[in-house]
Parts: sequence; C-alpha cells; structure tokens
Amino acid sequence: MVGASGAGKSTFMKLIVREEKANAGSLWVNGFNLMKIKNKQVPLLRRTMGIVFQDFRLIPTMSVFENVAFAMHVVGADRRKIRRDVSAVLSMVGLGNKARSMPGQLSGGEQQRVGLARALVNRPSLIIADEPTGNVDPNLSYDIVAKLTEINKQGTTILMVTHDHNLVRDFQHRVIMLEEGRIVADNAAGGGNI
Amino acid sequence: MKLRSISYLSKEGVKNMWSNRLMTIASIGVLVACMVLIGLAVLISLNVNKALDGLEQQNVIRVYFHDKTSVIYGNASEKYDPEDFKDTSSDDPSSKETSSETEDGDTTSSDATASATEEELIDPDDIPEDAYIIHNDEEARALCDKLAKIENVLKVEYISAEDALKDIKENGQIPDNAVEHFGFDDEYGNPLSCGARITLSDMSLFDETLEKIEKTKGVDAVQSQSELAEKITAIEEGIGIAGIWIIAILLIISLVIVSNTIRVTMYSRKLEISIMKAVGATNSFIRLPFVIEGVMIGLVSAVISMGILYFCYRVAMEAISGALGMADTIAFITVAPQIFGIFAAIGVLSGIVGSAIMIRKYLKKEGSEFTAI
Repeated sequence: MVGASGAGKSTFMKLIVREEKANAGSLWVNGFNLMKIKNKQVPLLRRTMGIVFQDFRLIPTMSVFENVAFAMHVVGADRRKIRRDVSAVLSMVGLGNKARSMPGQLSGGEQQRVGLARALVNRPSLIIADEPTGNVDPNLSYDIVAKLTEINKQGTTILMVTHDHNLVRDFQHRVIMLEEGRIVADNAAGGGNI
Repeated sequence: MKLRSISYLSKEGVKNMWSNRLMTIASIGVLVACMVLIGLAVLISLNVNKALDGLEQQNVIRVYFHDKTSVIYGNASEKYDPEDFKDTSSDDPSSKETSSETEDGDTTSSDATASATEEELIDPDDIPEDAYIIHNDEEARALCDKLAKIENVLKVEYISAEDALKDIKENGQIPDNAVEHFGFDDEYGNPLSCGARITLSDMSLFDETLEKIEKTKGVDAVQSQSELAEKITAIEEGIGIAGIWIIAILLIISLVIVSNTIRVTMYSRKLEISIMKAVGATNSFIRLPFVIEGVMIGLVSAVISMGILYFCYRVAMEAISGALGMADTIAFITVAPQIFGIFAAIGVLSGIVGSAIMIRKYLKKEGSEFTAI
C-alpha cells in the first residue's frame, strides 16, 4: 500500500486492527465482521494477525528470545511450545544465534527482524507491516521485504505500507494506492507499475 | 485466564516493582507511614479504653439492703458519708432531713427512713420481723443473686455488715465524732447494714441500670457516681469517633498513593501495553501484573509497618510506664494479629482498588491506541 502522507494509510490500518471504528460501509477481516464485533472479541481478532511496527517496538529490558516469547505468553501458550516456536521463528528470520542478545546490541535491520519474528510466532493469517523498512538501512530493506515475500509464499497474507518506490518496483506484488482516503489505483493482477 | 498465564503475570508484577524500584520504595514509604499512624491510633484507643475499663471497674455502685439495722439507723447511705459529720455542733442531728442528693452532688439514694441519732434509736427488740425485708445472710445472698441477673450488671459482691464496718475502719473513713454520733461499738453494735458492691459492664447504660437496682425489693439505699460514668462514656465515644476518622482519612491517602504509583508504572510500561494489545492480550491480562504490583506494595508495607509499630510501641510504653508508673498496658503480641490483619486488608484493598481504577482509566484513554504511542 502506497500513498502520500495524510492519504489515509494509517487510518486504513487502524480500521483493520479495530483501533478505530468505521462509521459506514462493511469491513470483514479474517472472518470477523468489524462493523458488528464486540469489544470482548477484539483481542481474538488481533490474534489472527501479526503487526510489524516501523519503530520495531522491542522491549529494551528483554532479550531477543523474551521479546518474541512475550507474544506467546499473551495468548497463554505453554512453556515448551514457546521454547520450540520461538527458536524456530528466530532461525527463520536468520537470528537463531542472537536469541540471548538484547535489542540494543542489534542493528536496525536485525531489530526489525525480531519484530517480524514476534509478529509471526503465533502463526497469524495476516501480517500488517507499517513501513517496516522506514528505520532500516536501504540495503537491509531488501532483506526485510525478501523475508516478507518468503512468508507470503507460505500462505500468509502480507499488508505492507511503504514510501519506498524502489521496493515497490523491485518486488512484483499487488499495489494499492491511496489518495485522500480513497483507492486511486489497484493493480490486482500484480506488477508494480504504478 | 489460564493458570500458567497467572503465574507468568505474577512474576511480571514482581519484576515491575523492581524495575520501578524508586517509585515502589517511595510509595511503600508513604504507605508505611499511613499504616503506622493507623496502628498507633488503634493502639492508643485500645489502651485508653483499657484504662477507662479499669476506671469503670472502680466506679462501683454501693447498695445497702433493707435489714434490721437500716430500720434502726435509717437510710444506710446517709450513715457514713463523712462530709455530713464534720461539724455536728452546729447541726442538730434530729432535724436532719433525708435527702436524695448530698452537697457534692454525686450521691443518690432511695427513700430513707429517718436519720440516726443516739437519742432516737429504736430498741432492736421492739422492731417486728415484717418491718424489714432482709432478715439473714441467706436472704441477703439471694438478693445478690437477683441483682446479678439484672441486665448490664457485671459483678455483684456481697458485703456483710461486719465486712463493711471493717472496711470503713481500715480505710479510716470514720470521723472523730462518729462514735458518739452513731454509737459505734456501743450497746447497739454495728450501725451498718449488709449490702453489695455492684460493677456494671457498660457505663453508657448507667442510669437505666441504676434505676432497676433501686427498684429491686430489698434494696434500701444506693450510692453511686453517675457523673464519672457520664464522663467515661463521653471519652470513650469521643475516642471511638476520632479513631474512625483517622483511619478513614489515612485509608483514602493510602488508596491515592497506590493509585499514583500504579499510574506511573503504567506510563513507564506504555510500550509493553501497546505490544500486548497488538498481539491480542485481553484487558484483564494487561491489568493483572499491575494489580499484583499494587497488592505486593501493600503487603510489603504491612510487614514493614508491623516492625516499626512494634518498635515505636515498645519505646512509647517504656517511656509512659516509666513516667506515669502505668504498668497496665496492652501487650503488643495480643493485638498484633488483628493489627496485621487490618494492615494487610488496607494493603490488598488499596492495591486492588487503586490499580483497577487507574488501569481502567488508562486503557479507556491512552491505552486504547497502540499503533502510535
């Protein structure tokens, strides 16, 4: 998803994660009707998705492992499953050897991969990535998007918001363009020629 | 919520305390101060109550029975009030009226027969049996049992005429002219009636109980100090009300302190809360570590307060008993469990209520957004 500042990208994301309520129309996410969803069901909706933040949002006092495990604790996973799944997902994002490091000891790209691992660890069917490469060196941005592409190929929907036209051009995916709160372009067939 | 989540969150709560240790220490400090003050208020009021209880025990009602002697000498309560006999030369005993209240105003008595003088004394042999109610020891003791059954009467102690005379002699209460006045030790023998010493359990019901005692058949006269009873009741009530106010105010302060600590902790944990919300934590899951933190602060404060209170109380009691010779104070250990119970209740309640209020507020406002913090 691309668009200038103020085009409505953030609002769109807030609607999807039900931080904001839509006042008209219809909105379905992962089988939940967000126009009718009860407050109690909102945590259940959010468990079906993983969110990757531009500013990583890692807890500085927790190790890489603990940061990822945190997402599993929240959903009440047992300790053995946490140990197994966190290790697996850290290996998947290429940080298997950094499990004990603290976030402050990692580069921006590595921190974002921890963020990605945390979003993935509960096996969501949708990943929402809000400018995941915004705070990462350009050459490392490709790594992140490559990882997302890999995950996408395994059957997880990825919604990525970005400003980086090079990324859009180089990775051939569906691109939705927003302007003043409306979709002005959507190459549903694929190909980044917007 | 699953058990493993609860154990995880409990650990998180304790960790919170450590990572916000300055704030934790500050709030424990203020909470301890509040609790120690509450504890001192409780201990002081308990001790004052105990001291007043002692006074109440001493504030006995003296009852004289209607026996043969009381017919000879008249109203028993009149017989040995030393004030009446200070100056008999100017006071013609024969004209002396019986009264229900003496000069100092604290003696009440029931209807009396006649004042006693040597000249007017009736010959005991002339008195018929039915002129008086209590004829012997058994009847007097039966009357004591009857008095003991009156509501609010704690203790009835029988005092025979002989014991009464012995008491008076030992206490040196007999005025110099009493012998000629009453004829102590002369042919008429002991001028005192038998009777009883009655202790009440509740001074606030003094007047009602006194009336019942006076109306009991066989009771000739009653001596009491109703003013003292009123004062004791007033002091007890005053202390009770002051204690409740102190505790209420300090409770509110404790609640505010704990709420504030939790609020600060919550803002310092904004990041964790936003992540929790993003990965689908329920509000109760987010709340629990804070509640546990609040409860822990309360409990730690309760334990520390007990130690400080014990020390303060010991020092204070040593000083007081040294200065006033008051040995009869309440032992700390006898009230310690109750006081710890109060402290723990304050700690746990302020922890739960304070954090619940704060988190509710937070999650409704700032905490409802997590995509941008």
